[in-house]
Amino acid sequence: MTDHQFSWKRVGVNLFTVLARWLLGAAFLYLGLTKALHPVDFLKLLRQYDLTSDATLLNALAAVLPWFELFCGLLLLAGVAVRGTALTLVLMLVPFTLLVWHRALLLQTAQNLPFCAVSFDCGCGAGKAFVCRKLSENLVLLGLSVWLLWGRGRQFSLRFSLMKPPAP
Amino acid sequence: MKTAHRTPVGRVLLEAALVAVFGAAFAFAANRISPRGLALARDYFPTGTNEVVPAATIIIPVGEPPDVNPAARSSVQIPTTPTQGRGWQLIDDRQAVQLLHDSHLRPGAIVFIDARDEEHYLGGHVPGAYEFDPYYPEKYFPAILPVCRAAEQIVVYCNGGDCDDSQKAALLLRDMGITNQKIFVYGGGITEWTTNHQPVETGTRNSGNVNITIQ
Repeated sequence: MTDHQFSWKRVGVNLFTVLARWLLGAAFLYLGLTKALHPVDFLKLLRQYDLTSDATLLNALAAVLPWFELFCGLLLLAGVAVRGTALTLVLMLVPFTLLVWHRALLLQTAQNLPFCAVSFDCGCGAGKAFVCRKLSENLVLLGLSVWLLWGRGRQFSLRFSLMKPPAP
Repeated sequence: MKTAHRTPVGRVLLEAALVAVFGAAFAFAANRISPRGLALARDYFPTGTNEVVPAATIIIPVGEPPDVNPAARSSVQIPTTPTQGRGWQLIDDRQAVQLLHDSHLRPGAIVFIDARDEEHYLGGHVPGAYEFDPYYPEKYFPAILPVCRAAEQIVVYCNGGDCDDSQKAALLLRDMGITNQKIFVYGGGITEWTTNHQPVETGTRNSGNVNITIQ
């Protein structure tokens, strides 16, 4: 009975993980495509963060990030290099979320508004949004990425890991 | 054996590095192939496009063809605001309307340039305006440069408000040899134009689909 219950739990976890992978993949595919189709708009939004004064570096970021997100989305949907992709997304999401939070704080000070009333287009691909909602969405994406790092839910994957595990 | 399925951290890090390398290669290639791709070496935001100085007065000839008895040509004084160090003037809605009216009387002498992207241009522009997205200038120069060189007044506009794409377009025209003095920037842009119920043409230039926006 205990084994049976444990098995059902494992099936549930695997199912959730596969759905999380598809959801995350679809989200990044959509967000990347939205930005890739309008790179100039993304470039203008990225410029607002004052990340760099070097035009070439700013252009490169604006040119590469949308397609890179799209690439990661495709990998997750297909189930290729899942954990490596998930780690890459974590490393992207953390600094971007902090940047959005920092910019929201600046706007809050400038506009003298409650934090959650601050609304702007963060360049994330979904247009203008209230900052608390945007940060929540980012935290969900971050949570799903961290979950995928666990390595469960290998079903429906073309090649879950690029590296072969060591021989037993 | 609860941890039997887990991959060591090193292998995940290596996999992430491979994803980053191949992802970056894919992204650069896609940007290169895409017709909307960015030119990495271009400075899309040249400095000094937002500077404004006090108003001056210029004289805009109206009502007669440019090559018919210039001495008898009527004229109207239009106060404008030149942008510092650039040489072109900032005009308002009334002046833009006047120039559009005059452009019908003197075809080719007064030209309107829409400095927004294609999607917005097709959605509605000043009737007869030429499309010129300043972020992809090489695509539009063959069509607009001969027209601008032949024109006596060029009115450039974008969305209005904090949009500075019209000044960016004016800067590009100046860099291509168009005389500063004949470039006018309509600061209110299409937003002010439609708010004031001025005629808007949808689709391509001279499509004939002209209507007045009611807001």
